[in-house]
Amino acid sequence: MINCENLQKRVPMAGNLLEILKGITLEIKSGESVAIIGASGSGKSTLLGLLAGLDEATAGTVHINGTDLGALDEDGRARFRGRYIGFVFQSFQLLPALTALENVMLPLELQGHSKVKEQAEHYLRRVELGARMSHYPLQLSGGEQQRVALARAFASKPAILFADEPTGNLDTRTGEHIIDLLFELNREEGTTLVLVTHDQVLADRCQRRLRLDSGALVQE
Amino acid sequence: MSMTATRMLARDWRGGELGVLVLALVLAVGVVSGISAFTTRLQSALVQESHRFLAADYVVSSGRALPQEWLPEAEARGLQQALALLFPSMVYAGEDAMSLASIKAVSEHYPLRGELTYSTEPFGEILPARAGPGRGEVWLDSRLFPLLQVAVGDRITIGEADFVVAAAARTEPDQGSSFWSFGPRVLMHYDDIPATGVVQPGSRVEYRQLYAGSQPALESFGRWLQPQLQDGQSAVNVDEGQPGIGSALARAESFLLLAGSLAVVLAGVAVALAARRFSERHHDYVAIIKSLGATSKTINRLYGSSLLLLGSVATVLGCVLGWALQALFFQLFAEQLPVQPGPSGMRPYAIGATTALTCLLCFAWPPLRRLAQASPLRVLRRDLPLENRRAIGDYVLGLLAVTVLMWWYSQDWKLTLAVLAGLAVAAGLGFCLALVLLRGGRLVGMSAGSIWRLALSGLQRRGAANALQVVIFAMAIMMLLILLLVRTSLIDEWQAQLPADAPNHFMVNIGPEDVTAIEELLRAEAIPSEPFYPMIRGRIMSVNGQELPATEKVQEDRRQRETNFTWSDTLPADNQLVAGQWWAPGTDQALVSLEQGFAERLQIEVGDTVGFLVGSQPLEAQVASIRKLQWQSMRPNFFLILPPRLLASYPATFMTSFHLAADDKEFLNRFIRDFPTVTVIEMDIVLQQIRTIVNQVSAAINLVLVVILAAGALVLVAGVQASVDARMHESAILRALGAPRRLILGGLLIEFATLGLFAGLLATVAAELSVYMLQSKVMEMNYAPTPWIWPLGVLSGTVIIGALGVFSCRKVVSTSPLTVLREL
Repeated sequence: MINCENLQKRVPMAGNLLEILKGITLEIKSGESVAIIGASGSGKSTLLGLLAGLDEATAGTVHINGTDLGALDEDGRARFRGRYIGFVFQSFQLLPALTALENVMLPLELQGHSKVKEQAEHYLRRVELGARMSHYPLQLSGGEQQRVALARAFASKPAILFADEPTGNLDTRTGEHIIDLLFELNREEGTTLVLVTHDQVLADRCQRRLRLDSGALVQE
Repeated sequence: MSMTATRMLARDWRGGELGVLVLALVLAVGVVSGISAFTTRLQSALVQESHRFLAADYVVSSGRALPQEWLPEAEARGLQQALALLFPSMVYAGEDAMSLASIKAVSEHYPLRGELTYSTEPFGEILPARAGPGRGEVWLDSRLFPLLQVAVGDRITIGEADFVVAAAARTEPDQGSSFWSFGPRVLMHYDDIPATGVVQPGSRVEYRQLYAGSQPALESFGRWLQPQLQDGQSAVNVDEGQPGIGSALARAESFLLLAGSLAVVLAGVAVALAARRFSERHHDYVAIIKSLGATSKTINRLYGSSLLLLGSVATVLGCVLGWALQALFFQLFAEQLPVQPGPSGMRPYAIGATTALTCLLCFAWPPLRRLAQASPLRVLRRDLPLENRRAIGDYVLGLLAVTVLMWWYSQDWKLTLAVLAGLAVAAGLGFCLALVLLRGGRLVGMSAGSIWRLALSGLQRRGAANALQVVIFAMAIMMLLILLLVRTSLIDEWQAQLPADAPNHFMVNIGPEDVTAIEELLRAEAIPSEPFYPMIRGRIMSVNGQELPATEKVQEDRRQRETNFTWSDTLPADNQLVAGQWWAPGTDQALVSLEQGFAERLQIEVGDTVGFLVGSQPLEAQVASIRKLQWQSMRPNFFLILPPRLLASYPATFMTSFHLAADDKEFLNRFIRDFPTVTVIEMDIVLQQIRTIVNQVSAAINLVLVVILAAGALVLVAGVQASVDARMHESAILRALGAPRRLILGGLLIEFATLGLFAGLLATVAAELSVYMLQSKVMEMNYAPTPWIWPLGVLSGTVIIGALGVFSCRKVVSTSPLTVLREL
């Protein structure tokens, strides 16, 4: 499913090149759930960004379902993301101008799906927000916003779901509820799950954990 | 996608994000189309106004009968027609009363343009006439009544025919210069001419055919007629002289165009600033949409369609505003305008819409277009820098757009360049100076208290951004100052030109023997008057011994012409020498002084020799000087002045001008009884009209100023808003760290007020420079430095920007720091 070889990321910093990822090689199989863990600054988010095609690597390759992300330009990667990838972010990243329903409809509209509204409503009901569809993000609590984000992520039936600290901005109880929902949906939809977290409990619920230390992979 | 675009717009509108952008566009379109419609309609009124002096749009005249075949040709082109015949003749009444009169016979439709007036008794209330006298009737000049000892209803004789005196003839639109040379007017019907038997072949007469109609029809007729004109036949389509109202309005027009051009620049800057901020605040949106699979094409389509939608709404609103503005102008005006303004057509609104489109394309689109390049990685890392580097191309594009718009709009390169030069000074010098001043501020601030240190370090930290902001503020303040200055001096100049006691009547044709008696009469009646000037009618025949062409064709400036001379040993009060020297009093040299425009038309310079014919006597004189006149002064003005001794032997009449209050008009009746041969020309009605129009134009100008002030304020608001986000963020952190309200607000106040102070200073310098250029090079007014704008510019900059800054950032102390930090 995901194959990455000798993935490197260096950025210029104060006249020097700062090495954030030092040649990562890994493979994630279809349907697998994988947690990327590590201390702050170890390169977790950078790795996630590269695996999801949000950023370009300095060297190395990422293949998803046989497609070389490095060979695509930004628009090509955008189309690829729209078709195969879903996201859940620490800060929810809902569009404040759109209602909960419209936020969930957005990726479906972008890909030209039909029956966009029905599908979006279905997923919002699935995350127990059937009564709050016409609310704007600012009218929703943090947990509710993250549930809208989950509905949005799963509505387009992505092959892979990337989650970046999905409970980072939530209290423990709400966080647990979100995680339960995330894993339930993941199971139902048969999605491959890659999540970045500090939370050992959350990481333990994944089938496999990859630990990053100063930009290098340490197998757990 | 359009659903998303409209949703996004609606939401942004509610959030106040789009307010400045839309308002700037609406104002730009409104001001531009409103002023343009106003000036177009005013122009059409002015053209009509000048045609009024012809009583038609097009006049053909000749000393011999004009071909009748021309009339059906004009008719076929849809032109209205009228005929007139002018000739001098003796008029008789009763047993022995008679007078030489200047007779004008007119057909039913005369005048085609302008207004014919009459009164039911001599010097009575002036009434508009629908048509001239009917068959068998005449209207007499007021002063003919005492001369002929007749009253309305009596009979008079012209040649072999008798006529009933039906009214007093008061004014004709095409009185023109004819009444300087002929006797008092008698108006009669054209068809009565044969009955009089006075017009015979060889009589001294002037035949006129008058035409009026649409511009294309007139042009086509003119093209057809011109080749057929023979010697002695002339066609006139525009009055040569500028009517008094015309020049006041023309200057008002260039002021309004200047105001409109500035509005375009101000609106452009406001749109650019607002769009830039809009784009910065939408970076995160775009990053999210991109992470969800939107391509750059999709993003461009989304923002492009939003912009188009926004532009359309703003254009419609702006056009409505523009229409309302010009309607309001004419509401102020309508009753005072001597003619009905024509329609403005669609061009003003097309200009408005193009302005909106240009503003959107050149100012709003560049920052929005870069949104498509936003990195989707921002969904993971909000600390990524924004893609908002302004390419040099954007500035060039903006500048080009402003230049083309201003030129297209004003059709005046000088005006465009004067404003651009002012802007360039404000921008170029301003940026450097602002950087230096802000650095200096930092050094002083180091030793100051903590509020000052906070504020000045803020200024220093964002040095380049602040310098840019100072330049933008300075440009807005500069333009407002320019308008204020030009407006003030314009209105002052008008009022100085027409003081309340300016002469409003002319007295011409005064015999030398009557001068002393009339002087004494005026003094006894306490009527203020100008000196009495001798007046000699003559014809300019040759320059440096070369005969001038004698054709009466109007297109030819350099030709023989009839004009009035006077003699004087001193330069008249408001005349100004522009070349040569005034002669020594008592000189017996053959010298002459010419009016500037007259000399230019005939291509005469100081030192040239000019030949005249006075009566039948030739006279030669060398040009000693060239003078500039104040044509609007309502004092006697002369194209040619010669030394008294040179003209002593020629027959002269005298003229003067005097001021008569409205209540004293009855004096004229008594005066004409005592001095029946003197002609009195009443200018009081025209003068009153000019004065009223000047007042109305001033009101219109003030109205425009208010609208431009709003555009300027918008730039200031947009400019402040542009920097609010960064300052809010810092202030929220400071507040979270426990800084008191006073410290934060005080710091912000000092920071913005300092920016305002520098901006005000720069603006004042640049405004003085632009006003100097505008007044001396474009509007041909006298420039005088204006010390009062210095404190005004600097103070208003400091206070307004300081207050706006603190007002825009007030949220930082009224809401919790967490909320502020989250929202940013």
